[in-house]
Amino acid sequence: MPRPSDSSRPRFAAGCRWGSHGEDRVVLFPEGMIRVEATGLSILELVDGQRDVAHIISTLAERYPKADPTKIREDVLSFLEKLHDKRVVDF
Amino acid sequence: MATLHKPLALIAEITHRCPLHCVYCSNPLEMIAAKKELATHDWVRIFQEARQLGVLHLHLTGGEPAARADLKELIQAAHVAGLYTNLITSGIGLNESRLAALVEAGLDHVQLSIQDATEDRANWIAGTKAHAHKIAFAGAVNKLRVAFTVNLVVHRQNLDHLEEMIAFAEQLGPNRLEIAHTQYYGWALKNRAQLMPTREQIEQCMSIVEAAQKRLAGKMRIDCVIPDYYARYPKACMGGWGRRLLLIDPAGQVLPCHAAGVIPDLKFDNVRDRSLEWIWNKSAAFNRFRGEEWMQEPCRSCERRTEDFGGCRCQAFLLTGDMTATDPACSLAPMHHLVTSQQIEKHDLREETTDVSWSYRATVE
Repeated sequence: MPRPSDSSRPRFAAGCRWGSHGEDRVVLFPEGMIRVEATGLSILELVDGQRDVAHIISTLAERYPKADPTKIREDVLSFLEKLHDKRVVDF
Repeated sequence: MATLHKPLALIAEITHRCPLHCVYCSNPLEMIAAKKELATHDWVRIFQEARQLGVLHLHLTGGEPAARADLKELIQAAHVAGLYTNLITSGIGLNESRLAALVEAGLDHVQLSIQDATEDRANWIAGTKAHAHKIAFAGAVNKLRVAFTVNLVVHRQNLDHLEEMIAFAEQLGPNRLEIAHTQYYGWALKNRAQLMPTREQIEQCMSIVEAAQKRLAGKMRIDCVIPDYYARYPKACMGGWGRRLLLIDPAGQVLPCHAAGVIPDLKFDNVRDRSLEWIWNKSAAFNRFRGEEWMQEPCRSCERRTEDFGGCRCQAFLLTGDMTATDPACSLAPMHHLVTSQQIEKHDLREETTDVSWSYRATVE
């Protein structure tokens, strides 16, 4: 499947939502869950069906001014692609 | 003392009442009458206790869960307790407005089982005219924002048209397709002679599933597990006895799996008498096959014992009469011939038998 574009508005797929498992934040989906940590967590918290990918990338770039913007962009695109393949995120 | 894990999933058999009579039903032959079912408030308390114990996923099943008039209240209570709710249904008893109310109440996932691709054959397996209704039900699910799994239950009588079944399932519009080989407990064990697939069917099934997985990648997830009679090693049944999962029957008995009732001398505690936490941690039934103390050889010294836990205790008992034996589905099991000779015998039968006589699942009021 293709990567999201800058104007894609990612959102949780039907039946996928936040949950908690002990201290961890997890994403629950049919028959399973994914633990989300660090970078993934900060990306996924911005996934709401409203913000587009460009907005998510710029928000993270502002939040982490010391990080390489190219790397942030790559992280966001590959993370969303991965979750799309798992049918957790739609865009 | 074995390490005590926290349960992740609760299977709630909220009723054994069902309008279908599927020949592979996993319900016990002795089903529980409506008047013995737990009340709404019992289930509400159970859902809260389950979440506190660590449970994430709730699978509402039966029988047909929609046979309970309080299904919406149950889903709402589970959702409020923080559980992810999955409804395993035939769709019968759920029209568009009732289904919409369930989703509104917090239902996350609907799982619809399909018996075959064509109406006559599907109804033959279900023992009821359910197929047309299921198609209409899938249409209703697609109008709502809820995860949707179609479950194709496969066995010898329908595996020869698996491609047609997958194509049919695609039209129903699910996000996920599960291809579930019949497991031989309850009514399915009674009908095993007519349901057990041949080795050729299993091999063909695997290549059809692989092709479909490739073709539908990114569109629909396809999960398929090969039946354990044909696998080299047994399944890690329920992720290990008392490790991941608990099941509560309509009358409140708490079991480590669907079939555990067949094992003699196991006393199951009831949520009417004990807390779920006590039952999970302390009950004799849940502790019976935890750890490795109970194992015989070859399990006891097998390096796979921490992966598949000696296989399924219920199957070991049903086939060998010894609940601590290695699951005969394991190629290393001393009693493995019980499974292989059946395969051969059934394969021979297949060419000769044209009539199939089913023991249809009984009705319970």
